[in-house]
Amino acid sequence: MLIRFIIKRIIILIPVVIGISILLFIVSKIMPGDQVAMMLPPNLRPEIYDVTYDAMFRRLGLDRPLYEQYFRWLREIFQGNWGFSSMFQGRPVLDVIAEPLRNTIILNIFVNIFYLLIALPVGIRMAVKRGSIFDNSWQVFSLATFSMPSFFIGLSLIFIFGINLGWLPLGGMPNAAMLEGLDYYIAWARHLVLPVTTLVLISLAGAIRYIRNAMIDALSQDYIKTARSKGLSEKVVIYSHAFRNALIPISTIVVGAVFALFGGAVVTESVFSYHGIGRLMVSAVTGRDRMLVVSLNMFYSMINVTAVLVADIVYGLIDPRIKLK
Amino acid sequence: MKVIKSFFLMIKGLFVRERIEEDMLKEEALRTPMKTILLKLIRNKTAVAGFLVFFLIFCFSFIGSVIFPLDVNYTELTNMNIRPSQNFLRYPRELNDKNIVKIVSGVSFSVALTDDGNLHIWGTECNVELEGITELIMDIPEEIRNANIVDIEAGMRFVITLDDEGNFSGWGQTDQDQTILPDNIKRFMAINGCNEIVQIAAATMWSAIVTDNGRMYLWGSFQAESNYIVPADAQGKIVQIATGEVNMLLLLDDGTVRSMGMRGTEFYELVPEELMDGSVNVVEIAATNRNVVVRDDEGRLYTWGSPVDNLNKIPEELNLETAKYIAAGLNNFIAVDDDGDVFVWGAAQLGQYNLPRNINNAGVVKVFADAFQFYAVDEEYNIVGAWGNKGYIFGSDQLGRDIFVRMMHGGRMSLTVCFIAVIIATTIAIIIGLTSGFFGGWVDHTLMRVADVFDAIPFLPIAVTLSFVIGHEMSQEQRLYLLMVILGVLSWQGLARLMRAQLLLEREKDFVLAARALGIKQRSIMFRHILPNVFNFVIVSVTLSYASFLLIEAVLSYLGFGVREPTPSWGNMLTGAESSMVMRYYWWRWIIPGLFVISACLSINMIGDALREAMDPKSEER
Repeated sequence: MLIRFIIKRIIILIPVVIGISILLFIVSKIMPGDQVAMMLPPNLRPEIYDVTYDAMFRRLGLDRPLYEQYFRWLREIFQGNWGFSSMFQGRPVLDVIAEPLRNTIILNIFVNIFYLLIALPVGIRMAVKRGSIFDNSWQVFSLATFSMPSFFIGLSLIFIFGINLGWLPLGGMPNAAMLEGLDYYIAWARHLVLPVTTLVLISLAGAIRYIRNAMIDALSQDYIKTARSKGLSEKVVIYSHAFRNALIPISTIVVGAVFALFGGAVVTESVFSYHGIGRLMVSAVTGRDRMLVVSLNMFYSMINVTAVLVADIVYGLIDPRIKLK
Repeated sequence: MKVIKSFFLMIKGLFVRERIEEDMLKEEALRTPMKTILLKLIRNKTAVAGFLVFFLIFCFSFIGSVIFPLDVNYTELTNMNIRPSQNFLRYPRELNDKNIVKIVSGVSFSVALTDDGNLHIWGTECNVELEGITELIMDIPEEIRNANIVDIEAGMRFVITLDDEGNFSGWGQTDQDQTILPDNIKRFMAINGCNEIVQIAAATMWSAIVTDNGRMYLWGSFQAESNYIVPADAQGKIVQIATGEVNMLLLLDDGTVRSMGMRGTEFYELVPEELMDGSVNVVEIAATNRNVVVRDDEGRLYTWGSPVDNLNKIPEELNLETAKYIAAGLNNFIAVDDDGDVFVWGAAQLGQYNLPRNINNAGVVKVFADAFQFYAVDEEYNIVGAWGNKGYIFGSDQLGRDIFVRMMHGGRMSLTVCFIAVIIATTIAIIIGLTSGFFGGWVDHTLMRVADVFDAIPFLPIAVTLSFVIGHEMSQEQRLYLLMVILGVLSWQGLARLMRAQLLLEREKDFVLAARALGIKQRSIMFRHILPNVFNFVIVSVTLSYASFLLIEAVLSYLGFGVREPTPSWGNMLTGAESSMVMRYYWWRWIIPGLFVISACLSINMIGDALREAMDPKSEER
């Protein structure tokens, strides 16, 4: 039953993936700059240049009609050939993305751990102690961070902890060549503190509100009254009866947030000069690196599609009532 | 406790008249849903606060930008990175009882030399304390404070002094050692047999001295080596010098003038022939950055130099025969005539024309003009009026532009762009949501898949990409429209889904059934019966997405993909703020725009939240 459900969800997603790919293909076609010229070495003699240019032009299939180019591009993506980056001397895109991707994933793992560790207990407590000082102050916090540009949070943290107190590095990455062993990991951790804090703060703002509201909805149901009237302890009522039911809406945003961080990190990575895919994205756009831009967008989209799929499946797993209607 | 409480209630009852509880049914009949929502909003303190803050920001941006027009291309590099203040012209009161010898000004400060040899400084610090090097202008060094000063001169960010023992000194920004008389010049002075400095001069990057035997020496930074060279026929005859940015005018003892410094500038090349051949006896010279004005012994004024700012146009009202004093600011000339009337011409961006009232009746004999601060003094050398650059309320940025004015225009830009973007997004959302919910079937299916596609595309990366790809060769104005469209087109899905879901929900309700039973047309049911019920969601969504658009615009412009320089927006005014220099020393450049974005967003979010609460009948439970 579950497998059928998953397969159905995947089938629904196929047109979405096709739509995204068409959109990104169009973007790659209207991107400024000569795709071929950027891949050729700059100091070729004119007659050789012309010949290589034509050869390259044909090799990339640019003389073909657009739909053919599109299918060719799609096929190559499935074969793992994501094109070549012009900014990085024609290195394969996947190769270029590998290291920043690792960095971004490391960043996101830490962010998700801390964010869930804070958001879940805080959200639940807010709902249970509705209207208390605890609830109100977190509400204010949530509203305030929700109204701040993400880079401003980052800048403020740099200002306070990096410049005024001088505790942490302002940004960038540790130099692997200069540090060894444990020192390197400590430097890594120090460089991670501020970006992780920024991203956790940003994610918390929405999440605690959502969790709080989900919990309040759950707590106002009749079965909670039943449970209470049975004389169950408040702990059991909250964590066993209410929380389990609140988990259904909560699971959606948790899954969403885990994936959304990839997209949200663009700004934070830029502010902290963190060598992740977000910053790579910005420099790829300004550097007019066509394949890199398209690939990164494709990558982001695939992550989002996967997120939707995973959220659906988790939903189906948690809530036995939901089967594909 | 209870006793105290009832006691208080009793006291309260004495002063506050209890509101008569109305009959519930009566109240019900009186209040339309709209009224209820409004009442709830007015009672909600956060909503009122939000409205107030947003209203203030709105007025600041829209009314302010009308009052303070902005020339987007205006820059004044000399005034870059000046901290917020309004005290450039606020001279100390004690100067009123003292006789002033001279007042000199730099970008943000002025120094007065009184006849007792003391210095008085006012204004705002314009230098920063870099590690280990103190260059602060507002701290006059102890030894200069104690010396008996006879002459002072100010560069843009430094001051040089000459005391009664002939010692040269100075303080402030010293990146070119402008405040230290170099040893080799001392040696030259000794070789040429002069022992006394009679005049000192300072420009942006360099200093000069004139000695008692008419020789001039200069040091500091020049754009070219040849700019150092004093004309051979002038050396030894110099009595006065006037400094521009890269040029200088020398007044010789025979009443002629010579220009020196960078070749090819109007300042250097266009000296009138009669001023050099001796047919005219020049008595006074003054120079702005790129222009010169000289006065001969018959009161005639000669002016030449760059055509910028109309500095070569002497005001017609100025009676040349009676002109008796001329002075030059950085971009202005000032003349005083026999009647004590003051005339200003040249640039106008920094309040140079805001002459104090009654200045023409105050018996002005002299105006001390340097940089952008002008001080008029009467016969007893007391200050009778000060005008010019008062300071920057929010400081100035890296190009010397007033952040206060740019905040207004930036605010107008950000608020307008986001407003139109919200309208675009909402229109698309309503159309798609309604079509989807109304027609159902394959139309619904297709539209929802399209929404899925837009949901799956990561917002920020694709916005950055599109803004660059489509907008890279667009004009400034077209880019603004593009930004609105990108924001709008990428963010309609949420509201569209909500509309569709609500529509499906409402369609099943009894009042629709009733309407249908009455034989009312489908379309009429849709627009007259269902849509008003869904409209609450639209209003809330519009408010909340307006706030988030403000954030996104700020982020995009900050990254350089939204509104671009020189057009200001709150986001692009923050560009470059991540540099540690800006963070550490020029805090006003990032904190002020940041605070504006935050307060705008916060106020809108507060309104949005309050709206949602007011419209949701179940909200009381939360």
